[in-house]
Amino acid sequence: MRKGDLGMKNRPWTGFLLTALPVAFLIIFVGVPMVGALLYSLGDAGGINSAISQIGLDQVISHHGLTLKVYSGLIRTPAFVEDLIATIWVTIACVALIVVISWAIALYMRFATGFGARILSVLYVVPMFIPVVISSYALVSFWNDGGFVAAVMSHLGFPNFPSPGYTLVGIIIAQVWASLPFAALMLSSGLKGIPDSQIEAARDIGASGISLVWRVLVPQNMLSTIIVITFSTIGILGSFTIPYLTGPNAPQMLGVAMYSYFSTYNEPQQSQAMAILLFLLSMGIGYFYVRANVRADRKGSLAR
Amino acid sequence: MSQVIQPTIGLSTPSPRVRRLTWQQVLGKIASVVLIGLLTVYILGPLLVLLIWAFAKEWFYPALLPQAWTLSWWQTIFSTGNFGHSILLSFLIAPVVTLATAAICFPAAYGFSRYRFRGRWTMLISIFAINSFPKMGIYITLAGFFYGLHLIGTFPGVVIVQMLGTIVTATWIPTAAFSAVPRELEEASRDAGAGAIRTFMRVTLPSAKPGLIIALILTFLSSLDEAQGTFIVGAPYYQTMPVVMYGLVNGYPEQAAAVFSVLLTLPSLILLLFVRKYIIGGAFASAFRLH
Repeated sequence: MRKGDLGMKNRPWTGFLLTALPVAFLIIFVGVPMVGALLYSLGDAGGINSAISQIGLDQVISHHGLTLKVYSGLIRTPAFVEDLIATIWVTIACVALIVVISWAIALYMRFATGFGARILSVLYVVPMFIPVVISSYALVSFWNDGGFVAAVMSHLGFPNFPSPGYTLVGIIIAQVWASLPFAALMLSSGLKGIPDSQIEAARDIGASGISLVWRVLVPQNMLSTIIVITFSTIGILGSFTIPYLTGPNAPQMLGVAMYSYFSTYNEPQQSQAMAILLFLLSMGIGYFYVRANVRADRKGSLAR
Repeated sequence: MSQVIQPTIGLSTPSPRVRRLTWQQVLGKIASVVLIGLLTVYILGPLLVLLIWAFAKEWFYPALLPQAWTLSWWQTIFSTGNFGHSILLSFLIAPVVTLATAAICFPAAYGFSRYRFRGRWTMLISIFAINSFPKMGIYITLAGFFYGLHLIGTFPGVVIVQMLGTIVTATWIPTAAFSAVPRELEEASRDAGAGAIRTFMRVTLPSAKPGLIIALILTFLSSLDEAQGTFIVGAPYYQTMPVVMYGLVNGYPEQAAAVFSVLLTLPSLILLLFVRKYIIGGAFASAFRLH
């Protein structure tokens, strides 16, 4: 054991063997299926794909080399293109709302001390305690035609209130609801880490309100913000339960479309091609997520 | 006076003894009350209405409360076979998932916190990187793979798919817990003549216990609430509580779904109240960043 290493033991095999278990699990049950899905979506029906290709309908099977026909077929399907576009704009709208609302909550929690702050500190974690299936159902029946919001609106003199249940807006309402605890926790734990002295110093030189937030707090809390943005983007891009229970029949978000193709239409090849597209979309985003973490950890303990 | 209160957007600084509110501060106060009120309705409203539905006999639009109340839907849920079955199944699967996750993740957490070895950083990142793949994509590709292994619609298949959602948290939180155990304590124990295993059992494990328990609870809950992976891989035989909920939403009256929702939420609510202060204290947030 080397001194000054925080007592880290230098036994390469013990450490490797202990940590290899979850990594091996992930390689077998995430890595291998992903490679299989990639090959299958490119027309290869051998190996681990031979079982699934026995039952799939409308398949493209290439006996010589790989082909992009599944993907070009998807792109020529108008319904799929609509789904893809809907998925992307719903995701962008949700993430923008999540960032704004959770920043507001985090700021309020950082500076306010009264009754409001106490209420808020309990309130914003509530969605974390509710299983997503339940909250999706609760939200869609609350906002639906004939639901509670519509009833209140009709009492207030708006009988034709356009209820967002089973629309893309309904999906956004539910996604934001479910994502708030994580986002606000992340941001407020980041804000807590900024010392009061630094904020006082900025105030002494005349920074107030917006410029304090923009010039001091946002840059200091950038890592948390990036984690919130990337993590919510990935989560919402691939979400299933919320759009399945609160969204319209068409256009569907990709998570729901993947399921429909897999189970309802029995077209697993198209479904897996969508999964690959989804991975490509989120890999770009995931790169920023991991990089932001690795950068922030240069000073951290685990990098040693 | 250096303690001049800066008018800030809805944020109030601890005020000095003389309270002289500027009009901006009054506006800010009003705005924050309104906003918190709206947020309260947005977050709690749907849950309250769902809770009321669980006891409603008749509730016709646009009344704001049910016209008649009843408890009969609770009996319906308990006496209908497939609901009871799904509750049993959920509570059978969750402990298995929790134990299996602990068995592969806790030793790894100890390894990450105590040993240095080639590839350590790569392995950390690769566990971490699973967060950057959409779950539904992983489940769909896994389902194709499971057809080949004949794991679709089987108990091991369901356990594996649920474990994919628990591994990251169950590795991270314990890693932090083991890392936080003071090495001096372990060294003192070794100096006093205790062996490696005895030191681990008597010193390391008890100190890391709170972190390990949080990880166990979060794993258990994640399994209990997992819906989409089980829906795809477990179909049609393994209908856990959340999976049954998918069907309830369409085929049953509002009240049945409401009662079932309350039942499904209770365990999460109770267990999460236990770990609430750790979650808010940052243990949960720590599962998403390298610490």
